[in-house]
Amino acid sequence: MSGRRGRNSAGIRGPHSALTDYLATHNISAQQIRDSYRQRLQQAEAQAEQESPEAGENGELVQDDDEAEAQAQAQAQTEAESSAMAAERSRKRKRNQEEAIAKIKKGKEAKKKASKKASKKASKKKPRGSDDDDNNDSDYDDDFLNMYKKAKPLPGQLENCELCEKRFTVTPYSKAGPDGGLLCAPCGKAVTKETKATEKAAKPIAVRKARRKIESNRLDGITMRGPKTLQQICIEKLANHSEDIEEFGELPEAIMNRLSEIFSKKRAMNSTTVKLFLRPDMDTVVIHEAAYLETEDFDQIFAVVPEIKRLSLKNCCQFKDGNMEYLIEKAKQLNAIQLLGANLVSNDNWINLFSARGKGLKSLKLEWLDAAFNDEAVQALIEFCPNLERLKLERCKQLGVDSIQAIAKADNLQHLTLRFCKEIPRKELVDLIVSVGHNLRTLCLENFLDNTVDPDDDLLIAIHDTCTHLSKFRFTENHECTDDGYLTLFTNWSNPPLRYIDVNSNRDIDNANPDGPEDIPIGLADAGFKALISHSGSRLEYLSIASCRHISHETFASIFDGEKQYPHLREINMSFCPVVDTQIVAAIFRSCPKIRTVVTFGCFEVQDVIVPRGIVLIGAPRAQDAIEQFGDVVMEFQTMREEMQRVSERVVPVMA
Amino acid sequence: MATINLTEFVTLESSDGFEFKVLRSAACLAGTIKKALDPSYGFREESEGRIKLATINGVTLEKVCEYLYYHQKHAEAKDVPDMEIPPELCLELLIAADYLDI
Repeated sequence: MSGRRGRNSAGIRGPHSALTDYLATHNISAQQIRDSYRQRLQQAEAQAEQESPEAGENGELVQDDDEAEAQAQAQAQTEAESSAMAAERSRKRKRNQEEAIAKIKKGKEAKKKASKKASKKASKKKPRGSDDDDNNDSDYDDDFLNMYKKAKPLPGQLENCELCEKRFTVTPYSKAGPDGGLLCAPCGKAVTKETKATEKAAKPIAVRKARRKIESNRLDGITMRGPKTLQQICIEKLANHSEDIEEFGELPEAIMNRLSEIFSKKRAMNSTTVKLFLRPDMDTVVIHEAAYLETEDFDQIFAVVPEIKRLSLKNCCQFKDGNMEYLIEKAKQLNAIQLLGANLVSNDNWINLFSARGKGLKSLKLEWLDAAFNDEAVQALIEFCPNLERLKLERCKQLGVDSIQAIAKADNLQHLTLRFCKEIPRKELVDLIVSVGHNLRTLCLENFLDNTVDPDDDLLIAIHDTCTHLSKFRFTENHECTDDGYLTLFTNWSNPPLRYIDVNSNRDIDNANPDGPEDIPIGLADAGFKALISHSGSRLEYLSIASCRHISHETFASIFDGEKQYPHLREINMSFCPVVDTQIVAAIFRSCPKIRTVVTFGCFEVQDVIVPRGIVLIGAPRAQDAIEQFGDVVMEFQTMREEMQRVSERVVPVMA
Repeated sequence: MATINLTEFVTLESSDGFEFKVLRSAACLAGTIKKALDPSYGFREESEGRIKLATINGVTLEKVCEYLYYHQKHAEAKDVPDMEIPPELCLELLIAADYLDI
């Protein structure tokens, strides 16, 4: 150890800065300055020793040490003088100088040790501990002490750590403590960590995080005006402390659901936290993200909540045959089941489920199944469960034509959502609509194409002829139906106006001809869109025409002209409709008093829009920085509307 | 309109007897309190300017009042910093917030 330290101290040079070099060229020796400083310093120390009344009381040992120190100092002085006189510094001499300093330091260390033994007061003469004495000393002493302090952290020296009092070797990397002393390596590390943490907690990151949050909210369509509700703040806080919660107590079901949502979003729904959401008196269990749940946890649900009526588990990867058997045995009241990604349940058990629940089953939603669940299961479902009202089968890879034929026999269906992975002959689909269409409230057909026959609009015509009770209609990703088909569908349709329409991605796909055939437009184009709006515009709440590229600017402008009103429209998605521009977006703000969200991804013509208060504009690639996308401006027509609302509100109670 | 006797402050009383005098305008940010104080319904709460909240204890109600003022202060502001809530109070506060409709 000592050998190493010796080498260290010998190897370390004094400061040799650019300034030193510069001074040397002007015949000024940094060495000389340093030496004279040291000399002054020694004088001051000697003076302090003489002045302090305790000096005499010091033990012999200390005095001996002082003598040794004085000798070393004298040596240093002579050396310094000679070097000053020579006014030319050789490396060797410098090293000698360093050695001398090291000697002094070592001498002081020895003194320190000795004085520790001898008396506490002697140790006060050590510069660091000499605060008490300093108070009595002159200003000059104070000054010299400060200088001395700076000079102090010389490597190789031993020192007591300021925090933990342990002895350690000073290195160039030793950190200064809170009171100016030195810290040992572990304490130093801890202190650096702390300071870094506090720095991190400071502003810049908060700003970045806030910006992220704002972007996230923008995409979620949340307008950021005013503070959050107290409920929202509490729920978010709870989600951050999900592990510390023991019990929710008697929370209302609506709040439980919101908690479940935010727990799922934050990936905090695991074996421990899921138990918080299970209460024997509940009849609904909804877990939006069940990927972290184990097989046993699913059994828990039915053990704790045997009266369960509605079950919804998304991403329930570990939901196995055993769970299904337990569900069949325990949850006798279950009438609505939604399972996403339950791939470990075998076909036989699906069939068992349908035969066991039988007439009780009213709603079934299954998505993302590829390992099991085939046409036979669907046939069993339709056979055993005649009261099925709601059916959603999306992305179940094994389903094909036989399933469509089976579903056609489900007489009581009111809500039907299908998205198959296999191609279905159009004729079968038309038959399905013809047989179940008259009852449907919801019809969602996504990505149904048929390459085997020439494209025609039979499907749309069948919907037009059969469905008369729809309120939600989704028909997407189709490049076979023509504009004429949509025109036929929405013209003189005995169905009342729709509430929800999603007709995204109905357009021609031909890279060589992006505008589509001119004579017979494919997909939802001008005529179809006009017919759609004139049929449903009065009740429409949600409209998605994303990627319907063949709708012209003219049509948009005539539909959204700022005068015609669409009183219920809350959200519109016009992404990738290249003709949509600033004028149309501005007109939408005026034409739709209840509009909250306007989505315009890929609409490059939308620029410099002033967004009114309470409305979010999402997407708008050219308008990211140029515009304030969160409406802050109160527009004239808004104040007028508010005024009218106030009047009508006042009138109502009088009438009542 | 019956704006004659509207006091500037109203009193909210907690289940354990603590009383909080709150600006009427702030208190009425809570839907439930607003309804209770609405002159057109003529509840006793309105005439006394005093609402007893038997399900909310003093500690929680204090936080509720803090929120009411916080809400009033930031009503029109954008990017409002969230109010600090001690985690141990969260659940009770959540139930109270649900009850008071804030």
